[in-house]
Amino acid sequence: MRSKLFNNNWLLAALLIVLALVPFLSSSKFLLTMLITVFILAVYGMSYDLLLGYTGIVSFGHTIFFGLGAYSVGILLTKTKQPNMLWVALLIAIVGAALIGLVIGILSLRVKDVYFSMITLAFAELFYIFAEKWSSFTGGSDGIPYIRVPSFFNDRTQFYFTALAFLALMYLMLRRVVHSPFGRTLQAIRENEQRVESLGYNVLHYKLASIVISGCVAAMSGGLWTVLQKYVNTSVFGMDRTIEALLMTIVGGVGTLFGAVLGAGVITFAHEWFSSLSTQYPLFERWLMFFGILYIVIVMFFPKGILGTILDKWTQKQGGSRNAASDSKRSKSIL
Amino acid sequence: MSLTLNLLLNGIALGSLIFLIAVGLSLIFGLMGVLNFAHGAIFIWGSYAGLAAFNASGSFLIGIIAGTVAGIVIGWVMERLFIRPFYGNHVAQILLTLGLMIVLTEGLKYFWGPNLLGFDKPAALTGVVDVLSDPFPIYRIFMIGIGLLVLVGVHLLLSRTRYGIIIRAGVQDPEMVQALGINVRRVFSLVFALGAGLAAFGGVIAGPSFGSITPDLGMANQLNAFIVIVIGGIGNFPGAALGSLLIGIVQTFMAFYLPDVAVAVSVAMMALVLIWKPEGILSVRR
Repeated sequence: MRSKLFNNNWLLAALLIVLALVPFLSSSKFLLTMLITVFILAVYGMSYDLLLGYTGIVSFGHTIFFGLGAYSVGILLTKTKQPNMLWVALLIAIVGAALIGLVIGILSLRVKDVYFSMITLAFAELFYIFAEKWSSFTGGSDGIPYIRVPSFFNDRTQFYFTALAFLALMYLMLRRVVHSPFGRTLQAIRENEQRVESLGYNVLHYKLASIVISGCVAAMSGGLWTVLQKYVNTSVFGMDRTIEALLMTIVGGVGTLFGAVLGAGVITFAHEWFSSLSTQYPLFERWLMFFGILYIVIVMFFPKGILGTILDKWTQKQGGSRNAASDSKRSKSIL
Repeated sequence: MSLTLNLLLNGIALGSLIFLIAVGLSLIFGLMGVLNFAHGAIFIWGSYAGLAAFNASGSFLIGIIAGTVAGIVIGWVMERLFIRPFYGNHVAQILLTLGLMIVLTEGLKYFWGPNLLGFDKPAALTGVVDVLSDPFPIYRIFMIGIGLLVLVGVHLLLSRTRYGIIIRAGVQDPEMVQALGINVRRVFSLVFALGAGLAAFGGVIAGPSFGSITPDLGMANQLNAFIVIVIGGIGNFPGAALGSLLIGIVQTFMAFYLPDVAVAVSVAMMALVLIWKPEGILSVRR
């Protein structure tokens, strides 16, 4: 029931139209860039939600895939000096993400789920170090500056529409995935792994597929991130980037897909706001601390995040108390 | 003293340090099923608290005590307020401890600034001593001594005391221990505080060997501890000791001969153990 509001295609279409009108209503380059950032990060957040919210596994190395996309675009465009190699770079990133997702998944899911969090963290560190040491390719800690991107993306408005279309497309694709029989099986694994296994499903294969899909989507968003920044450095493999995915998903609402979009918006704009405040109040330089506290409060008291909590209130108002009850029982086990 | 012996001693010193972090992490996970992602943050909090007390009092011993107490307090509060309501809910625990890691690390940066802070060796432990007619830093020897002391101490605690028996039984089967009329929850709190205290203790000991500390050192050292408990087997005390020694020695040799891939080798060793014996090198299948 909770997803009914956002199964409501009219509401989503209306939101899409409003967002599509933004470039005509405001000529602020800053606002457009902020929104492009939100769209790209939202896709990254949604990919994380497929893992955390729908499959119930916690990855602390999701940035591996994001960074892979970011670096493959950065490296290929600079080495070939052909901006139009972007599509090849994205393809390489997707294939690479799939392979790495498989390797990490096979290594860590053989044991307990908690290993996955630990091992993804270790692998993220490994990629960070590779990016730092292998400087002939990655530019080391200086990164790769002045990346020439296809001229199409130099026009802010065109880039804006591309990013919006990318977000819409990925949302529809992932929604399709989570509502398919495959997605239902993932949710069943999240709820009760033993039962799914005893029904004859190969849980490991389903989890691996979930990691691979989520990794491929994250790699694409990482690739676009480089196109937006025209710059890539080791921070794309940093712990902060993984924390970002976690914050967006948790704050917005786990297991809702759209929650990650909301979370990306909240985090991006709040980060910007805190940064502007920090010139006056040094406390705001530690903006991550505020998010950390907010995140802890949400995990402890509002395990469904902003969107999930609103949806619950909404279903209760609709008089669907029975549905709401079964619903709250259902999503309790996510967190 | 040959180069190999020198590297070996350095490796053992590093291993002692990793062991101090890993043993608490491993016990907490083995007993309570909680993988504490804030463990490294507690380690580095111990470092900072120890440094503050050391600078204020001039006594390294007071620094060690202050750092350890800080760790025990953080661990105890954490267990009471954040971990206790979520026993059995692994996803929430992992997410919560990561959030605590963020807040603890950012808190350090707020109070002490994000930059390097110098941590001098206490006067009595500065300088070198001759080992097989070659000089070796006294402080490294001190670290090895501390590592051995903790190893023996924790071993005696686990094998010779009533609490140790309860902890070991709890790692095997917490429900059964509870059914025997023992308040397992109270043991949980104690082990959590003990593990956090050991990590913070390690933080103070590690401080002078780092020379200077930053809040981000917490994460880096936590990674080593994670790798160690994967290699040694979770909740396996001898495994944690052997794994720490192994990682310490291998990393020291690698840092000397192939510095670029030192960390990669640890991760590769972890991957190998996961393929070959995922339950840890010292564990017996139950």
